Amino acid sequence: MSNETYKNTALIQASLKKRYAREKRFQWMGRFAVFLGFLFLFILLFDIVGKGLPAFTQQYLLIDLDLSADALDVAPDADAEALSRANYAGVIKSSLRDMFPEVKSRSDKRMLYRLVSVGAEYELRDRVMADPALVGTRQSLWLLAHSEAASYLKGQVDPNSPEAERRVKDAQITWLDQLHADERTKSGFNTQFFTAGDSREPELAGIRVALYGSFLTLAVTFLLAFPIGVCAAVYLEEFAPTNRLTDLIEININNLAAVPSIVFGLLGLAVFINFFEFPRSAPLVGGIVLALMTLPTIIITSRAAIQSVSPSIREAALGVGASKLQAVFHHVLPVAMPGILTGSIIGMAQALGETAPLLMIGMVAFIMDAPAGVTDPATVLPVQVFLWADSPERGFTEKTSAAIMVLMGFLIMMNALAIYLRKRFELK
Amino acid sequence: MQGNDDMNQMKTADAAVPEEARGLDIHAHADVSNYETTGDPLLDNPKMSARNVNVYYGEKHAIMDVSLDIGGNEVIAMIGPSGCGKSTFLRCLNRMNDTIPICRVKGDIQLDGEDIYHSRQDTVLLRARVGMVFQKPNPFPKSIYENVAYGPRIHGLAHNKIEMDEIVENSLRRASLWEEVKDVLDKPGTGLSGGQQQRLCIARAIAVSPEVILMDEPCSALDPIATARIEELIDELKERFTIAIVTHSMQQAARVSQRTAYFHLGKLIEVGQTKQIFTNPQHELTENYITGRFG
Amino acid sequence: MADSLNLDQHTSHRFNEELEDVRARLLEMGGLVEEQCRKALKALTKGNLELAIEVANSDYRINEMEVEINARCMDILALRQPAATDLRVVVAIIRMTADLERIGDEAEKIGRFAQTLAERRDAGAFRGDPKHLGKLAIAVLRGALDAFARLDVSAAIETAAQDPEIDQEFESVTRLLISHMMEQPAAVKSLLRVNWCARALERIGDHAVNLCEEVIFLVKGSDVRHLSLKEVQDRFL
Repeated sequence: MSNETYKNTALIQASLKKRYAREKRFQWMGRFAVFLGFLFLFILLFDIVGKGLPAFTQQYLLIDLDLSADALDVAPDADAEALSRANYAGVIKSSLRDMFPEVKSRSDKRMLYRLVSVGAEYELRDRVMADPALVGTRQSLWLLAHSEAASYLKGQVDPNSPEAERRVKDAQITWLDQLHADERTKSGFNTQFFTAGDSREPELAGIRVALYGSFLTLAVTFLLAFPIGVCAAVYLEEFAPTNRLTDLIEININNLAAVPSIVFGLLGLAVFINFFEFPRSAPLVGGIVLALMTLPTIIITSRAAIQSVSPSIREAALGVGASKLQAVFHHVLPVAMPGILTGSIIGMAQALGETAPLLMIGMVAFIMDAPAGVTDPATVLPVQVFLWADSPERGFTEKTSAAIMVLMGFLIMMNALAIYLRKRFELK
Repeated sequence: MQGNDDMNQMKTADAAVPEEARGLDIHAHADVSNYETTGDPLLDNPKMSARNVNVYYGEKHAIMDVSLDIGGNEVIAMIGPSGCGKSTFLRCLNRMNDTIPICRVKGDIQLDGEDIYHSRQDTVLLRARVGMVFQKPNPFPKSIYENVAYGPRIHGLAHNKIEMDEIVENSLRRASLWEEVKDVLDKPGTGLSGGQQQRLCIARAIAVSPEVILMDEPCSALDPIATARIEELIDELKERFTIAIVTHSMQQAARVSQRTAYFHLGKLIEVGQTKQIFTNPQHELTENYITGRFG
Repeated sequence: MADSLNLDQHTSHRFNEELEDVRARLLEMGGLVEEQCRKALKALTKGNLELAIEVANSDYRINEMEVEINARCMDILALRQPAATDLRVVVAIIRMTADLERIGDEAEKIGRFAQTLAERRDAGAFRGDPKHLGKLAIAVLRGALDAFARLDVSAAIETAAQDPEIDQEFESVTRLLISHMMEQPAAVKSLLRVNWCARALERIGDHAVNLCEEVIFLVKGSDVRHLSLKEVQDRFL
């Protein structure tokens, strides 16, 4: 007996090394996998943030402007009506010509004018209209730079590369360098990015419409999907009899979760827009479509959460004479709530990032004004990203990344909310 | 008399299904007819009475022709090996089996002479009159106060906060838990020790002033000291309530009950005064079970 | 030891062994007591001094066995918490050890009287008088032990039924001794001693009947100690 015991000890000891080595190997593989995951995430974030950060600054040029009534092409005592139609573009152009008198040729002049943003004239108009006393004076004002000039000022253009390969030409670089040397350039925080709608000009484009649109769409989605989803889950889990029909429903809900989102878009187009004649491009339709898409997720996760509630709680409630409804709403749902909320917020996050179905219902339109209600046309963040990523102008590249950053910020906030709600409910 | 097929059935997870409903079909070979319960299952003036109760889980015949009376203010213990039907029978007494979709109950069960399986019998009212304490302490994940106040609240037994406070205090006192928790009434009930949780569950059950309390292995998850406290409590409670207790511990049955019923493979084999069952059982199966012999 | 009560059918083998152990020990003690009684009777009737001294000094072994068996029964009660038949076995054995010990004491008593009687020349004529009584008492004792070994209720009742015979025999022995006393007043002292021996033998019979009652209690679960023989027979035969 004792001999055998010793023999076993020796055998076990011999096998120990191998076992520990295997364990070590597995641990290292796991660490490597985690490391790899983090590496890719880091590269992605680095790339996006690197590209997107410059979008949060804007470049301005200090231009000496002759705001005489002559130059503005208005009467000296012009009223607001006339002022709004004054020739601000001409003022800016002549001022630029005055600052660089050596520019003579037509094509050079056109390049010179391209230093300043198209939006500068509207900015100037707004300022003059706000303060008519400016008429007749000479002012040095900071005007928004054109996105190409701005990209050079931000150091994104290599002046030594062949001229044909870049959009900022040698002449423009010379002028910008001169302006820079005269301390006539500055950069500032890009508030316009958050306050403006979409624009053809990268330096004027903002995500306000998309932000509003995303918020409204998600609100509609949540208000529809959460109550319907939770109620469906409660019914299926607690009240529905188990038979063929409920089995069929369960299978179909599971299948529905796997249906490509674009199909929901087609459904939205066919049913809500063509049949019910809801307005196109509206957050209402987008929200409904996304709600349909999110419902299966919410139902499935809610059912799982309800299922995981210990049956002893139900029994306890029934045991003191609670009705089934009371048992479910007083005891089962509060316990299942963290799980339900987590599932719902994951579903909402999915909806937030969804593009394809919204393309189908026309939320891809070019919209400059923020929507005031759920029936006004709007777009959403991922669609905005999609649109900008598609634009040829260099300035939109950084806008794309910046919009992605905002979208991710949104997602992080939603996840944080999920965690907070979870903790809050679990404490009780 | 009808089963519960027409009830809204509520799905419950497997854990709620008594052991009889799961596992092997141990009843396939059992002879349903021709057996008679040894001893005296019937009483003169019973609080609850069951006559020829049969319970089926789908095809399985879990309880066979059981007739048993439960007298007022007595503690009756139901013992027997696993899968013998004792828990199932207990759950028939407040229609807790209704929650199991595949379960059918046949026979006649009366509370104070009223048929509890009658179609007009309301299960909510029934369960307010026949309370239940479960195997695992299962306080609601709410405060101690809320745990006790829940039953009276949903039944509208208290008209204001003062009355409710009174009910809660009395219930906790009767469950001999008041002294331990009176300063922490707003703390979650799940934070108490196992034994305290079970006493909280008893307080919760008696808060609605039931006439009968069913206990399904109430001490199986508790240590001997906590068990002793619950047993002491049962002894005190029998002054006011009728108690039916299912237990795996024969010693516990011997300690707390006045009558003992022995179940075996779905049949009620023997019923008698606890003293007699434990010193001189009449049926061989009872004897074998009580003395720990091979079946 | 196969029996009708399935005492060897517990799930716990240790419990089987423990119960078997106390039963075997009780039977061993019974054998010892019976032996003591035989020797005491022989020493008395034959006037064998040596045997008388041996009997008078051997009682301690019975006492030791009583203590030992009781201790083991206590262990079973405390550790196994026996119920039903098992409980009755243990309780019956505890009570039976007490009876056996008393029988042992009576045998010792006879031994002591036999010792003095053996030394007196005047006792020779009547020391054999309680011989039949003694044989009866020992037969009852033996029957009780057999009934216990076989857990045989009918044997126990039959054995107990012999008690009236013993009582009658005791009466006749007493009458015989009284007539002796009237014939030889000088030997009254010895005659009284013989009578005490007869009395002890009668007591042995009573204790043996108690043993039978314990056997009935053990098997049937009802206490028949204070029932008449007739009632017991009606109920269990």
